[in-house]
Amino acid sequence: MHGYIDTKPRPASNGTKANGALAAAPKVKIEIKDLRFYYKDFEALKGISLPLYDKRVTAFIGPSGCGKSTLLRVLNRIYELYPDQRATGEVLVDGRNILDPREDVNLLRARIGMVFQKPTPFPMSIYDNIAFGIRLYERLSRPELDERVESALRRAALWNEVKDKLRQSGLSLSGGQQQRLCIARAIALKPEVLLLDEPASALDPISTAKIEELINELKSDYCIVIVTHNMQQAARTADYTAFMYLGELIEFNETTVMFTHPNKKQTEDYITGRFG
Amino acid sequence: MQPVTRTIDTPQGAAKWTRRQGALDALFRGTTTFFALFVLFLLGAVILALVVGALPALRHFGFGFLTSDAWNPVTEEFGALAPIYGTLVTSAIAMAVGVPIAFGIAVFLTELCPPWLKRPFGIAIELLAGVPSIIYGIWGLFVFAPFLQSTLQPFLVDTLGELPVIGALFAGPPLGIGVLTAGLILGIMVLPFITAIIRDVFETVPAILRESAYGLGATTWEVVWKIVLPYTKLGVIGGIMLGLGRALGETMAVTFVIGNAHRISASLLAPGTTISAALANEFTEAVGDLYVSSLIALGLVLFAITFIVLAISKLLLTRLQKRAGS
Amino acid sequence: MQLYARRRFINAAAMTISMLAAALGIIWLAAILWTLVSHGITAIDLRLFTQMTPPPGSDGGLLNAIFGSVVMTGIATLVAAPIGVLAGTYLAEYGRNGRLAEVVRFINDILLSAPSIIIGLFVYEVMVVPMRHFSAWAGAMALAIIVVPIVLRTTEDMLTLVPGSLREAAAALGTPKWRVVTMVSYRAAMQGMVTGVMLAIARISGETAPLLFTALNNQFWSTDLNAPMANLPVVIFHFALSPYEDWQRLALGGALIITVFVLALNIAARVLANLSTLKQ
Repeated sequence: MHGYIDTKPRPASNGTKANGALAAAPKVKIEIKDLRFYYKDFEALKGISLPLYDKRVTAFIGPSGCGKSTLLRVLNRIYELYPDQRATGEVLVDGRNILDPREDVNLLRARIGMVFQKPTPFPMSIYDNIAFGIRLYERLSRPELDERVESALRRAALWNEVKDKLRQSGLSLSGGQQQRLCIARAIALKPEVLLLDEPASALDPISTAKIEELINELKSDYCIVIVTHNMQQAARTADYTAFMYLGELIEFNETTVMFTHPNKKQTEDYITGRFG
Repeated sequence: MQPVTRTIDTPQGAAKWTRRQGALDALFRGTTTFFALFVLFLLGAVILALVVGALPALRHFGFGFLTSDAWNPVTEEFGALAPIYGTLVTSAIAMAVGVPIAFGIAVFLTELCPPWLKRPFGIAIELLAGVPSIIYGIWGLFVFAPFLQSTLQPFLVDTLGELPVIGALFAGPPLGIGVLTAGLILGIMVLPFITAIIRDVFETVPAILRESAYGLGATTWEVVWKIVLPYTKLGVIGGIMLGLGRALGETMAVTFVIGNAHRISASLLAPGTTISAALANEFTEAVGDLYVSSLIALGLVLFAITFIVLAISKLLLTRLQKRAGS
Repeated sequence: MQLYARRRFINAAAMTISMLAAALGIIWLAAILWTLVSHGITAIDLRLFTQMTPPPGSDGGLLNAIFGSVVMTGIATLVAAPIGVLAGTYLAEYGRNGRLAEVVRFINDILLSAPSIIIGLFVYEVMVVPMRHFSAWAGAMALAIIVVPIVLRTTEDMLTLVPGSLREAAAALGTPKWRVVTMVSYRAAMQGMVTGVMLAIARISGETAPLLFTALNNQFWSTDLNAPMANLPVVIFHFALSPYEDWQRLALGGALIITVFVLALNIAARVLANLSTLKQ
């Protein structure tokens, strides 16, 4: 299948030299192997295999319905909320197959944070939004909790904007702030992986720029996966890019290579805007 | 990054967390399932209790309980026909009065009402649907019955009462209380209720359908009669059945004014009784097992009738909802 | 153009009738409220709230009846609201479109509209007969059975309105389902659920039929839940049908109190519901 062809970035097209930080061989955080996904009987992912690197940003791009969001939703098994959906194959996180039913799905999700297309602040205060996830797993004293909330908000570059109104409802923030609140909420759990499902598509350009800036800062600590329909966004934020089409992985490579020398005709057509 | 301090970061801690949360999840799910099942149990228990309570009377009188109009506590002869008849007739009168008016109000609300009046008027209707039925009963007793006695009833006796055949319906002295009065009160009581449902149902009609009909030059009436009504037929009937279910089982609005007489008179002006009125009036004073059991048997009959009506109404309304949703 | 004229005429006639129906309906209902206010207001004074129900032909108040109604309504709500909320939670969060959920939904709708006097009969059979006496407990249980389906229905409706994205977001943090429901869904649906409970209280505070042969009535002050207890609706029923003018006056006063209370509760519930939709 196509998926197998391009799973390794090619040393030949050594784009990493342009960026000193990428010179060292990155560590594989997540290894996806022959992943298939079904909505009832419809096969939405047709045998995807792909590595995701630690401390790097990987973008999934492709036209609507290509399966990029579906793929993302397998990585934290959020699809399991819906009884008609199932996945086969393997997703190895640090070598452990997370699709194994014995794997505790909640602990998995605590390790693999997710931020959605539309901001989803809970109907509670800004402080409680952040503390919500922390309280699930830890019993902390008030000062410890305060500190953790503050550090998460700082990490998400939101602290300065909200430090005087932590008791206000999370719904009172602007769209861009709400989205950063959601990122902070995910970070507060100290995840290893961050999944971002078109995190800026509902936001204005300035908020989008802030989110992208944040992604760049956060990648030094996390394995970040971002789904986007915006090619420029992929080019700006991602170290690696996977191009998907009709449930198949067409091409996977370093972003700079993908956008300058795509291997496949379909990829080229898509990134030059000839379809999609 | 901060050093690892969380218990869930160790395998033992994670396993403990999983066990604990898994147990709490199962507990919560189990509790909610239990109470959902409790609702089923409740209905089952109601039916069972009524059947058990009614059994002595049903055994004693057999099927004749339903066809006899005898009701004599002294000789312990009981039959359900008179209350069943009263229940059906009062509800029929209520529907005959309430449905057309409710329909008219609903048309007014959805098609004619100026926008500024729409909300207050709609809210007023909904509030009135919440007024306890005993209020309607009291009004019937103190105001409406005397009013009918001095106006409508003598008029009916003098005009329709003189006619052949239907004259029998309006014969006898104008007492104020009686089957007709009870039916009218019931009609007023279910009026806001049915109106609110029909209005809601009318509003499920897609605006585009209405607009395209108006676009073809249809009059308001034609839009209502040929577009809105056919589209919402199921829902309107369902709403009317729901109102009927209420009217059949209503106690307080009827008990005050029906006169509580266990007999079937041809005249609508004569006193009668309904199942619920008989229960309200006689249950606490009933002496003897057979008397009590007969009253419970009446309750069983009422429950069976309303169950069927409500089930039909529910099926119709669900079908409309599904269509509106798709 | 004859056809057109005919159509216009039919339309005008139908619309006139519709407006007359609206006017008739409103006037009729206004007349009822007016009677209640004009007659009832004369009965409202301090004694109504401070004295017990009197023997025939003498003065008194409705204190014991008001107290009984408050007590039984309160117990019924405390017992039934949690049951309704939990059962509604099952329908909205677990059962959804499953077979069991469909059946429960159907049965609940039947209970919701079942004649309340039948509920009274049921509680008589299962509580009054075995205990061999009427009691406030029995009255409260009858009212509770009426509250359950109302709260269940509104809880389910309100939880269904909570956006799925909120549940996904909570689940994505690794939140166990029970905490997603109790900490996120309930919070998001809180105002709507409170509205449902308020509407249920409004509904039972005027219910008479289920109390007639469960709580019965009591002419005197009683706080014993194991004994018959006075309550406004039944007192109104007896007093209104009595031949004594004092009693009739008290009945009208009591009816006014109930109506004002019920309407106020309905309006408050509506305001609360509006607040919650504005926020979203």
